[in-house]
Amino acid sequence: MGRSREEELERIARLSGLQLSEEEKEILFSDLSRIVPYMERICALDTSSAKRPPLSEAELRPDEAEGSTLAEEILKQAPQADDGMFTVPKIV
Amino acid sequence: MDKEKILYLTALELAKAIREQKVTSEEAVTAVFENIDEHECNLHAYLSFWREEALDLARKCDEMVRESQDISALPPLLGVPVAVKDNLLLCGKKTTCGSKMLEEYISPFSATCVEKLQSAGAVIIGKTNMDEFGMGASTEHSYFGATRHPMDPERVPGGSSGGSAAAVAYGAAFASLGTDTGGSIRQPASFLGLVGLRPTYGSVSRHGLVAFASSMDVCGPITRGTSDAAMLFNIVNGRDPKDQTSISAPKVDISEIENYSVKGKRIGVPKQLKNEGSSGKVLREAMAFFTENGATVEEIDMPVLDFSVAIYYILSSAEASANLSRYDGIRYGYRASDVADVSELYTKTRSEGFGKEVKRRILLGNYVLSSEHFNDCFRQAERARDMVKTAFSGAFSRYDLLLSPVSPGPAPLLGEIDKDPLSSYIADLCTVPASLAGIPAISIPFGKDEKTGLPVGIQLMGPAFSEQEILGASRFLEKRSGFYTGKEKGVEA
Repeated sequence: MGRSREEELERIARLSGLQLSEEEKEILFSDLSRIVPYMERICALDTSSAKRPPLSEAELRPDEAEGSTLAEEILKQAPQADDGMFTVPKIV
Repeated sequence: MDKEKILYLTALELAKAIREQKVTSEEAVTAVFENIDEHECNLHAYLSFWREEALDLARKCDEMVRESQDISALPPLLGVPVAVKDNLLLCGKKTTCGSKMLEEYISPFSATCVEKLQSAGAVIIGKTNMDEFGMGASTEHSYFGATRHPMDPERVPGGSSGGSAAAVAYGAAFASLGTDTGGSIRQPASFLGLVGLRPTYGSVSRHGLVAFASSMDVCGPITRGTSDAAMLFNIVNGRDPKDQTSISAPKVDISEIENYSVKGKRIGVPKQLKNEGSSGKVLREAMAFFTENGATVEEIDMPVLDFSVAIYYILSSAEASANLSRYDGIRYGYRASDVADVSELYTKTRSEGFGKEVKRRILLGNYVLSSEHFNDCFRQAERARDMVKTAFSGAFSRYDLLLSPVSPGPAPLLGEIDKDPLSSYIADLCTVPASLAGIPAISIPFGKDEKTGLPVGIQLMGPAFSEQEILGASRFLEKRSGFYTGKEKGVEA
């Protein structure tokens, strides 16, 4: 794989919130060096005739306020929660 | 009824036998768990199951039958043991999606389709193994270990709904729910000699289905026969206010399926989906079968389908990378320890929580969404997807159904797929077009690979909401093909 694409993938991994080990980089970047060019084949497709099919109108439910009893259950799934809030490491 | 005979009934046959008190739900659940005790350690179809709870529920079902004044009014799947894929929420039970990220996650509510299954009287006995977040075609990408093919444990059962398919195939459930983004119901069904229905996009609510690629994710049945697939589809489909993309879909008339004939039908075979492998041979046999039975079968040219794998992987990976951004270690799921700040918490959590295939898709997804490639890749793929939809509309103006292989051949050996991820993506060629178009497609057993003797399915596709037609054609085929699973085990079709 070219140096520039590897650097690009490094940057994308960082932006994806992924820190890859050297071993992972070797495998994933090598796979992607074959996968990406295959996907980029679609650049050659003439899509000038593409027409967006008409979308069916979404069925909306009545705009009525509903109570939720799930908050407590959902907070139980948080790795750390306190006083009805998610707890995170210090930000500032 | 003896255990062996119970175990290979279809879900509908068992439901009838329970209603008529020829067998009890407790006997059926017991038989299934005896089978699980014997084979599960080698096959690993399940990620979790609950024996005592299932037996308690089974006894309640039996009581309902005994007290019933009118057995025809009983729920259609009363007492039938079924399994659901582990990306469908079941309140109070774990939903791991085959990922370390959700190893300890307990569902705070149930998916709409799961609730509907329960209302229909089904006894849900466990949650089945899958490729992590549905990404994979072998169930080897499960954090909890691979599922194996029940007929040849050196092979994979397909995926990502490999656990759901294996459970039905080895008599550890009478039917199951899987999910299909690019073929995850149809491909394992093909590998295991089962029926797998991918319903029309939106006809089954996605509420409570953990998202992979939201514009293509669909929940559907994996069963031993077409009538079971029709029944499960009728149970789980319908508009759900909790899923904006869900649509009121027509129910299938199951008795009409029995009367369906392919005589006079026009069937197209997309040239781009044909291949020379063992599934190509099975396709030719299916084409001959339809012709002999009075249908007109013609090859059809749909050039844009040559690009369907690229379109699918660009769009599904882009959607996946967005959907998976929610796993940050803060609100639910795995959280990494020993971190200095929030930024490190995100990165360490995601790096430790996701497996290799998921990382590969996130990288691909964010690559095609990055400003440098957004127009050339992502937008181009969106336009190409519109062309796929147009190509199918054109085809269905001339043909009632389209016929194709499901996968190039029978189930691969363990480890084979991982050696070459690009080739495994390309092997999805026949299943991804229906996903892109949002149309229903079904995989039906129709042959065997000569070398391995393993099942090979064929696929029928129809226009949106044509489940009645494709299920009818599937039933017509299965009654005459001799590959009906129950019949092989001595049960009448």
